[in-house]
Amino acid sequence: MAQIKIPYESYKLPNGLTVILSVDKTTPTVAVNIWYHVGSKNELPGRTGFAHLFEHVMFTGSGHVPYGLHDKLTEGVGGGNNGSTTNDRTNYYETIPSNYLESALWLEADRMGFLLDTLNLEKLNAQRDVVKNERRQSYDNQPYGRVSEIFSAAMYPKSHPYSWPVIGSMTDLTAASEEDVKAFFRLYYAPNNATLAVVGDFDPKQAKEWIQKYFADLPRGQNVERPAVAPAKLDASKRLVYEDRVQVPRLYIQWPTVGVKNDDDYALSVMSSILSGSRTARLTKALVYDAQLASQIVAFQNSAEDVGVFQVIVIPRPEHTLTEIEAAVDQVLQKFVSEGPTAEELQKAKSGLELGFLRGLESNLGKANQLLDGAVFHNNPGQFSVDYQKTLAVTAADVKRVAAQYLTRSRIVLSVVPKGKKDQASKAAESETVTMLSKPGRGGRS
Amino acid sequence: MRQQNRLLAFAAALVIAFASVASVAQQTLDRTKVPVAGPTPVLTVPTWTKTQLANGATLIVSERHGLPLVSFSITFVGGANQFEPADRRGVATLTAQMLTEGTKTRTGDQLSDALQLLGTNVNAGIGAEEGAISFVSTTKNFDAVLAILSDMMLNSVFPAEALERLRARTLVNLTQAKDQPVVVGAQVFAKVLYGDAHPYGQRSTETSVKAITRDDVVAFQKAYFQPGRAIITVVGDVSPGKVKSSIEKALAEWTKGGDKPSFAYPKLPELQPAKIYLIDKPGAAQSVVNIGLPGPPRNTPDYFALQVLNTILGGQFQSRLNANIREQKGYSYGVNSAFNYGKGPGAFRAGGSIFTDKTDAALLEFMKELKGIVGEKPITDEEIKTAKESLIQGLPQRFASVTAISGAITSLVVQGLPEDYYQTYAKNVSAVTKEDLLRVAKRYIDLGHLAIVIVGDRAKVEAALKATAVAPITMLDPEGNPATP
Repeated sequence: MAQIKIPYESYKLPNGLTVILSVDKTTPTVAVNIWYHVGSKNELPGRTGFAHLFEHVMFTGSGHVPYGLHDKLTEGVGGGNNGSTTNDRTNYYETIPSNYLESALWLEADRMGFLLDTLNLEKLNAQRDVVKNERRQSYDNQPYGRVSEIFSAAMYPKSHPYSWPVIGSMTDLTAASEEDVKAFFRLYYAPNNATLAVVGDFDPKQAKEWIQKYFADLPRGQNVERPAVAPAKLDASKRLVYEDRVQVPRLYIQWPTVGVKNDDDYALSVMSSILSGSRTARLTKALVYDAQLASQIVAFQNSAEDVGVFQVIVIPRPEHTLTEIEAAVDQVLQKFVSEGPTAEELQKAKSGLELGFLRGLESNLGKANQLLDGAVFHNNPGQFSVDYQKTLAVTAADVKRVAAQYLTRSRIVLSVVPKGKKDQASKAAESETVTMLSKPGRGGRS
Repeated sequence: MRQQNRLLAFAAALVIAFASVASVAQQTLDRTKVPVAGPTPVLTVPTWTKTQLANGATLIVSERHGLPLVSFSITFVGGANQFEPADRRGVATLTAQMLTEGTKTRTGDQLSDALQLLGTNVNAGIGAEEGAISFVSTTKNFDAVLAILSDMMLNSVFPAEALERLRARTLVNLTQAKDQPVVVGAQVFAKVLYGDAHPYGQRSTETSVKAITRDDVVAFQKAYFQPGRAIITVVGDVSPGKVKSSIEKALAEWTKGGDKPSFAYPKLPELQPAKIYLIDKPGAAQSVVNIGLPGPPRNTPDYFALQVLNTILGGQFQSRLNANIREQKGYSYGVNSAFNYGKGPGAFRAGGSIFTDKTDAALLEFMKELKGIVGEKPITDEEIKTAKESLIQGLPQRFASVTAISGAITSLVVQGLPEDYYQTYAKNVSAVTKEDLLRVAKRYIDLGHLAIVIVGDRAKVEAALKATAVAPITMLDPEGNPATP
């Protein structure tokens, strides 16, 4: 195996900002990437969608940066910028030619320190409209687009921090006030809740001077409390059916598992490549190739900071029912739980790790995200090598154990069926109909 | 106009800045000063060697030794448009998929297992005008993966059982595509622009996919995967001499044959006066809008002017279309425009997904921006400067990974562009004048003949669209045929 190495240095400014620098002179470009340790789980019920709405507001200009200049100094010079929000964190990045590093640092520092100076209701409303359109485009107007929302609501008790979707509800988006937004910013967008990575072609001494210049005098904010989040757990299995504007039904099965801080995450992720992803994977071979009940099948471990789920998604062949398919999935899983993986299955699942890691090293942005993920969730920018070693160390016994422990738990089975075809659900008679509370709302400026 | 706004906003920001500076003790940093960029980094374009193998294939090798990675691809000039019969649309993709289904000496499962143990995958795909078989591997596994690729390309046995399984999957995918308003919009847009007789207007349908036989697949494979139209590109941790002998050994049985196809396309249907084509999608939260008409091929001498033009109009976030329709009006999550270059008359298209209630208002804004770019809202020097800088300084990103470099070099050969294309890129972009921009805008964005294809909730949008008086409305079904009322 090649050496698994990303050379980096890390330090903290007195105001609490964590800085990670990693030099790679292969291409004359740099990525600047900031992660704020705040996501949708920090929202309150009734104000969902806030963290993500905020991500949009961050691009509307700040105290010394007029609207539009951010884009001009990034895409306007051959680079790019974007942001993203998950349950756990929000990030902002610029990819730029290396001679624009200083201006990128200036831009990020300005919105960390001076966003509220120019924020007003008009700007907020304009972004609220954009976010509502994002919701329409990515969820409401998307076949099967509401599945993740249905699962979040079904998997966790009401008011659990992972029970609402990152995008939020139309009603809550409309209800967010200017003061709500400002309070959110003051608490979560302080240097002590942020980690900055600079990766690519730059001189570290110069970069440190610039970081000192633009970030050091931004005031530290309040300490952010991180309440303990209850793990995902179902007292009893649920069986749901949702009617969507689709012609082909789909079967979804989800089990509560663990988040990224639990070492079972490694074995669960190895298990996912043994169950699907290649034609000889267990579920794929049994359902797509041998019995030919399914057109496609995918299984994966989806882990967040505090919680995780293991999910199986099956697209049926037209002549086969979801009931039939669920039984076939269960049969494969039961056998797997009782016998565990073979040595060769384990080896195949791990063989792609090295190449995947090496390819990740080709991108400044990808490297920055890896370092940041480690720093924010594990307090160790070098966590990628721990993850790599621990994944390689997963044994057949580990996989067998997590299969038995998690795949036999209470679970949620969701059938998405064409409108008026609830009878196509798996075990239709036992399935409870899901009605989505937050219908696509009426838009326009609030 | 944008420039004036920016100056005003900047002046306002200055005033506020002083207030906030006062709140930070002993602040001396003047944050209103935009940091000045350092000197532009010297562009280093990767170098490569280009030779011809005995079987006629072109071999390109570009060394990059930072990481133990190699990208390998065989690109075939010509694709489904050149090699698929009109009544067998879909056979190219099915043939490419069938390469994973077994060879004379390995079953599909054995191929898959062998590749999994080597930590990679061999990907085969055939698009409209080119196709490729490719992989990325670690340096140490390169020869072993190459041997498997060769076996797949030359010795596949195309089991009939596998064809039926893949056909069934394709049919499910076609059904699912009908539920995707974005896909329906793109398909109807192509059909309206090019018609059924032009390959650009054709696609695989349930009828064509059902008609494909195993003999069609075998014939396609024989005709298509020929060295005479192949470009082998290797980028990464290799030496040109050693890699050439590896390839000659692995592809020893791949004998001379084939040539680059003609890209002569049939004549386009006569342009129609501007028209709105509405496809009903009851209950849709958004209307998917596609506006455009057939455009020039990639080898047009107007290429650089069009790239600058489109960067200003709709190629970026702050381009005119998105700045107006998303950022100022809030009608959409994002709109854009592009010239889709190929060997033939690829489409100019502007569009995006629009909030249903704002479909009419957004259409008026699209039309305003299109009229603007052809002269009503003159292009400013500032817009031209930013667009050119963006294009020129974005060049290094094209060489950021082994696969990116491979694509950047291969496309020169496929499109028949000069070897010093990247070295002269900045010069060519810089040479574009304001007059060029106005000329190409008027020539290629022909307002009188735009096709406006909208997939949305007819009950909510039809009357409002009619009231815009932009163009008459024709109802179409999701296949692009006249809708029965």
